[in-house]
Amino acid sequence: MAKKELKVALFLAWRSLVRGNRSSVLLNVLIISMVFTNMMFFPALMSGIGVDIKEQIVAYQTSNILIEPAKGERYVTDLDATLSLVNGMPGVERATPHYQEGGLLKFRGRLLGSTIYAIQPREEKYVSPLYTTMIAGSYLGDGDIGEAIIGEMVAGSPNIPEEEEFNPSLGGVRVGDSILVEYSSGLQKEYRVKGIFRTGNYDMDNRVFVSWADMEEVVGEPLNYAPYITVKVKPGYTESFVQNELLQYGLREKVETTEELLNKGIGRALASFSIIGLISMLVSLVIAVVVIFIVIMIKTLNNRKQIGILKAIGVEKSVIMHSYGFQVIILSIAGILVGFLFTGLIVVYMTYYPMVTPEFSATPYVTPFDLAFNGVVLFVASVIAGYLPAWKVARENIQHAIRG
Amino acid sequence: MIEIEELRKIYQMGAVEVKALDGVNLNIDKGEFIGIMGPSGSGKSTLLHLLGLLDDPTSGSIRIEGIDVSRLTDWERTMFRLYKLGYVFQDYALVPELTVKENICLPAMLRTDRTPKDYVEATRDILHQIGLWDRRDHLQSELSGGQQQRVAIARAVVNTPDILFADEPCANLDTENSRLVLDLFREINEKMQQTIVMVSHEDWHKEYFDRIIRLRDGKMVNGGG
Repeated sequence: MAKKELKVALFLAWRSLVRGNRSSVLLNVLIISMVFTNMMFFPALMSGIGVDIKEQIVAYQTSNILIEPAKGERYVTDLDATLSLVNGMPGVERATPHYQEGGLLKFRGRLLGSTIYAIQPREEKYVSPLYTTMIAGSYLGDGDIGEAIIGEMVAGSPNIPEEEEFNPSLGGVRVGDSILVEYSSGLQKEYRVKGIFRTGNYDMDNRVFVSWADMEEVVGEPLNYAPYITVKVKPGYTESFVQNELLQYGLREKVETTEELLNKGIGRALASFSIIGLISMLVSLVIAVVVIFIVIMIKTLNNRKQIGILKAIGVEKSVIMHSYGFQVIILSIAGILVGFLFTGLIVVYMTYYPMVTPEFSATPYVTPFDLAFNGVVLFVASVIAGYLPAWKVARENIQHAIRG
Repeated sequence: MIEIEELRKIYQMGAVEVKALDGVNLNIDKGEFIGIMGPSGSGKSTLLHLLGLLDDPTSGSIRIEGIDVSRLTDWERTMFRLYKLGYVFQDYALVPELTVKENICLPAMLRTDRTPKDYVEATRDILHQIGLWDRRDHLQSELSGGQQQRVAIARAVVNTPDILFADEPCANLDTENSRLVLDLFREINEKMQQTIVMVSHEDWHKEYFDRIIRLRDGKMVNGGG
């Protein structure tokens, strides 16, 4: 097709959009932008949930690298030497151990099964932002004995009757209250609640933390062993780099990066999120194709007579078809750009006001690639959906077209 | 210029065959202003559409300037219409989103032998000739019926076609505007030696035509030339 004909097609398309029914043009742009936003939003939310879960696990539970006992062993032994070795490695910000014991919490007649974690509070600050999540009271100190910090879901609310609780809790523990912990060993110990934290992570907010020194009292011996060590990697270093370093230095324990752990642990869940996101994107795309097809079909059918007249006066059918094609191209580009704007506004809004559920706090996660990919896919789908009816009507017999 | 032999057009309306044209023979010379007249359903518009390559005959032949147009491909027919023919429709058939000026120059914009300068000048000259220079930037919705039909005529002649076809161009106009339009046709015919084939059912239009072809029930009653 010659440049001159394309120019005329573009001329007719532009005039039709600018001087035609403006509300129809705006509606079409709005529809395409909404479809684009829909294509972006749900998959981005799914990605955001995945990213949020990963970030929370890294932040509060495993950090970047997890060192676990060697095969056949229950604990990482010779803890002080291991920590000293790991902390001296290039790329390691800090390594800190966790110890855990199962226990039954008792408070004013309420019973709650839980896991009591022992941490080295000062060291933990370098690895986990737990200390920043206190909503009442204060964080643990290294020398705190008989004191505990508890997640807000453990603390519960005094206003919700036990039988109506979705998540079992102690029914409204406040800072300063005493709770009784019955450890699996049979030992009972009373703790004063020093602080209550809220991380937004379901698992974390169901935990109880005590100091390492306190747990040594509970187990009745110095804790020079731990079920696992969490390692925070310095900025600028990769997890795999530090993992390789640790293994090369002869650490005999199991050393896994977060990526490896997540792939094993929640990899399937994250893959499911991706599949759900993809399905949502495809559904949106089908809706877009159908809507644009219908819009252009109605437009061409309404303009059948005019199309017939244009053919009669010598306008080639390819010029007519391209004039509708150009309209779709312009509408699609405008719709996608407005969709970029809507998506951006939603992301910005949800960054400040994330969607908070008991399991996670989700913000849509959008990458430039996602924007470009969805934009191109929608554009191509729109153009095909727009060209089809235009091609069909442009091929019609002049007499049939003129008679409408 | 136009030679028609045994032209037939049969429409199938369910089980019934309707002979819109039934063996028409006709010759039209260059520069003639032909009027096709006859009662409703006589085949006037069908004949015009076949001559104008807007429809295909069931049988018979049409030769325009020696070319058997039934042998042309779809694209060649489009080009033939663009380069050789001009059309004026009963209901003006302007593009509502284009201004007067844009409507007129649209067919010229597509011709490879016309530069932008050529069609801008041609449009300007025609606008002056039809007396609508002042309305050149107006849309169809801002014009009277007579003005719209004058724009349609200007669009039809901007490419200086060999033959101008007009299908009841005054059907929607009052007598005063009809006369203006017919005077314009006559002026174009005389000044530019433009061949014009026009369908009409108004008896008083006869005074404008060089020759009248009368049809009845798809057959030519007189005026075959």
